Amino acid sequence: MKQDDCYYLGYVTKTFGYKGEVFIFLDVDDPSYYKELESVFILLEGKLIPFFVQKISLRPNSPEAVVRFQDVDTPEKAQHLAGSELYLPLELLPPLKGNAFYFHEIVGYEVIDKQYGDLGKITGVLEFPGNPVFQIQAGKKEVLIPANDQIIERLDRQNKKIHINAPEGLIDLYLNE
Amino acid sequence: MSRSLKKGPFISVKLEKKILAMAASNKKSVVKTWSRASMISPEFVGHTVAVHNGNKFIPVYITENMVGHKLGEFAPTRIFRGHAGKKDKAKK
Repeated sequence: MKQDDCYYLGYVTKTFGYKGEVFIFLDVDDPSYYKELESVFILLEGKLIPFFVQKISLRPNSPEAVVRFQDVDTPEKAQHLAGSELYLPLELLPPLKGNAFYFHEIVGYEVIDKQYGDLGKITGVLEFPGNPVFQIQAGKKEVLIPANDQIIERLDRQNKKIHINAPEGLIDLYLNE
Repeated sequence: MSRSLKKGPFISVKLEKKILAMAASNKKSVVKTWSRASMISPEFVGHTVAVHNGNKFIPVYITENMVGHKLGEFAPTRIFRGHAGKKDKAKK
């Protein structure tokens, strides 16, 4: 399994107790989705090693969980995992419907504006706090459009297109710089 | 020390004037501003403000949750690219 085919789930923070359990930090939108996690890849010395989860208990209202991995039954073995990153295959991402999308998913999508028409392709999403922004390559210029429900009209997954209605003057701001 | 309540929130006079004029005419065009310290007032909701971050303008679509915050909070001057493999973030 390659790291490019996986997504970052979180990391092992520290050991817990004397039975080889560890604390993990789930760096995700909805930790409760992983309450029945069966296995996970741990990045050890640059390689993704699969580990089976024997027991997982999520902390209430917290992105942390206590996990016991198969064959990790002593604090010494658990200590070896502390600080390591956790990954899962991309296929295991919870599916999204309608106009909801993952930021990594829409990179390469064509942006169609209601007034301008074909604007260009999305090259990335800037995750500003409370204000995610699409980076669009329009010819040689870069256009930034807020990723907001009021602006995104429709997501066409089949044709890899995203239809927007940009506020008046926003695209001109970047194209006529 | 926090700002005196007597003075009220700071909002750039030019920016406020433009937003109020647009609200009166029911227009929703983009307003450019360098005033990152201006507080977002309820009149700003639904408008898009292009806030300068020292390098370029960052478009900020103002929502109700942003009221009371400053414009600069939504247009960081340094870009943290995040974790390379982080793909769980979604727009729902």
